Amino acid sequence: MRVIAEITLRQLLSRRRTLLLVVLCLVPVAVAFAFRLADPVDVDPLEWTGGLLANLGLGVLLPVVALLVGTAALGAEIEDGTAVYILARPIPRREVILTKLGVGTAITALVTCASALAAGTLALRGADDDGLVLGVVVGTAFGALVYTAIFLLLSLLTRRALIYGLFYVLIWEGLLAGLFAGTRVLSVKQYALGVAEAVADVGPDVLEAPLEASSAVPLGLVVAAAAVALAVRRLQGFNLLGDAAT
Amino acid sequence: MTATDVEHRAAGPATVAEPAVELRAVSRWYGNVVAVNDISLSLGPGVTGLLGPNGAGKSTLLHMMAGFLEPSAGEVRVLGASAWRRPAMYDHVGLVPEREAVYSFLTGRRFVEAAARLHRLPDAKAAAARAIATVELEGAQDRALGTYSKGMRQRAKVAAALVHEPAVLLLDEPFNGMDPKQRLQMVDLLRRMGAEGRTILFSSHILEEVERLAESVLVIVSGRLAASGNFREIRRLMTDRPHTFTVHSSDDRRLAAALIGEPSTAGVELEHDRLSVRTADFGAFTRALPRLARAAGVRLDEVRPTDESLESVFSYLVRRS
Repeated sequence: MRVIAEITLRQLLSRRRTLLLVVLCLVPVAVAFAFRLADPVDVDPLEWTGGLLANLGLGVLLPVVALLVGTAALGAEIEDGTAVYILARPIPRREVILTKLGVGTAITALVTCASALAAGTLALRGADDDGLVLGVVVGTAFGALVYTAIFLLLSLLTRRALIYGLFYVLIWEGLLAGLFAGTRVLSVKQYALGVAEAVADVGPDVLEAPLEASSAVPLGLVVAAAAVALAVRRLQGFNLLGDAAT
Repeated sequence: MTATDVEHRAAGPATVAEPAVELRAVSRWYGNVVAVNDISLSLGPGVTGLLGPNGAGKSTLLHMMAGFLEPSAGEVRVLGASAWRRPAMYDHVGLVPEREAVYSFLTGRRFVEAAARLHRLPDAKAAAARAIATVELEGAQDRALGTYSKGMRQRAKVAAALVHEPAVLLLDEPFNGMDPKQRLQMVDLLRRMGAEGRTILFSSHILEEVERLAESVLVIVSGRLAASGNFREIRRLMTDRPHTFTVHSSDDRRLAAALIGEPSTAGVELEHDRLSVRTADFGAFTRALPRLARAAGVRLDEVRPTDESLESVFSYLVRRS
């Protein structure tokens, strides 16, 4: 719904949050710029760029931006009490969640895809990249959807969503999901990598995606759909007062 | 009047077949803490005050009525159906929350228009203009809410809550932070809306506020409904309850001897330089005291009630019920 989308957009793009997002998305660009300045002779630019976009872009920037945006898309209004001005209206809760998810995903994708595009292009100096940058951009957009859905749900489950989300990003996505074959099927980063590799025309050692797109896409969609369903359910029985008010 | 199972109908110009708001043996607890304890009541058109000290359970009760809190036991019905998990209810219900936060980046007009659009009103702009005129906020409607005073924000919140002309309006501490002029405006507005036949319930912990606005009152103390009904009757109960005074005079002993023979005196205690007098009849005692003191040749230096806090008044009502 348009009015919810407008309010969410204005809330999410507060001056402080926008500045933080811009600074974050410039980090991979700055690293790519440093690589270009150093111009090492014994490094394959394609492989190096693949590593940068996969590890720093998909591995760090994407979940952190999604965390900041996804937990605030509804969580900020719950925190300051303004959510009541949307929830005390005859609107199906599904509509509220889907609108918040749409706006949150769009902002996350915009920031992280722009960063991947700029960093990739800069590092490769405009050389033929075998569709690497495009693949990473598409994978990033897919990852933005799944991550934002998860963090939106988290903001409805706990008032400490940012802290728990950070633990999830660092411990699960950053550490455990990369270690074992079984945990990879439950990692959003791996879904995004799978999509990126399928779109790009690069060898398996550039992005090193452990999942095929045929697994990554349905798995990612199932996780996002489950998160949305749970978030809708949670919002239907939402207690605006918190758990200990009188 | 009884503490529970009270059939309460607010005064108003119209009557409805089914109460607009009905609570049936409703309780709400948080872990071991009981916030609302077995309350039954029903509300009809008119203005009703929900009175009680801070932490009595007023917000819990209002939020259950507004569908934002599930009762632990019992049922809350609004306009003929359960209030819980029923967003469609907001077609006919407006809520003014206690929390002050608003979308500070929106102008007053955009804020109320957003509410109208969320209600899918056919002409949102016109509905918003009407609501803004009702709360007399036209002069500031194009300023961002972030620049509003507390009272103006409160009026903007009321405008957003009544933009769809709800049959039931719930307001949580609407007078908080308002100056006397703004309070008067709000009292007038709510009175007008009550007279139009809407069911209006507002919470307050200030007796005088409720007195000025509501003919009917629900008194809630420690999660229980201590009293409900006509305000004047409850006010009389509050005034007629046993009082204790501390008296300082030129001769406390002689005054004590004179007071002991007075029928409105329930007990006298003289300890060191302090005279405590208990009375069961506030009116008769306050009339008798100066007369008795004059007759005994005693000068009254100070007469001070010792239990005038709102909490003690409410506690008395609870004990009595």
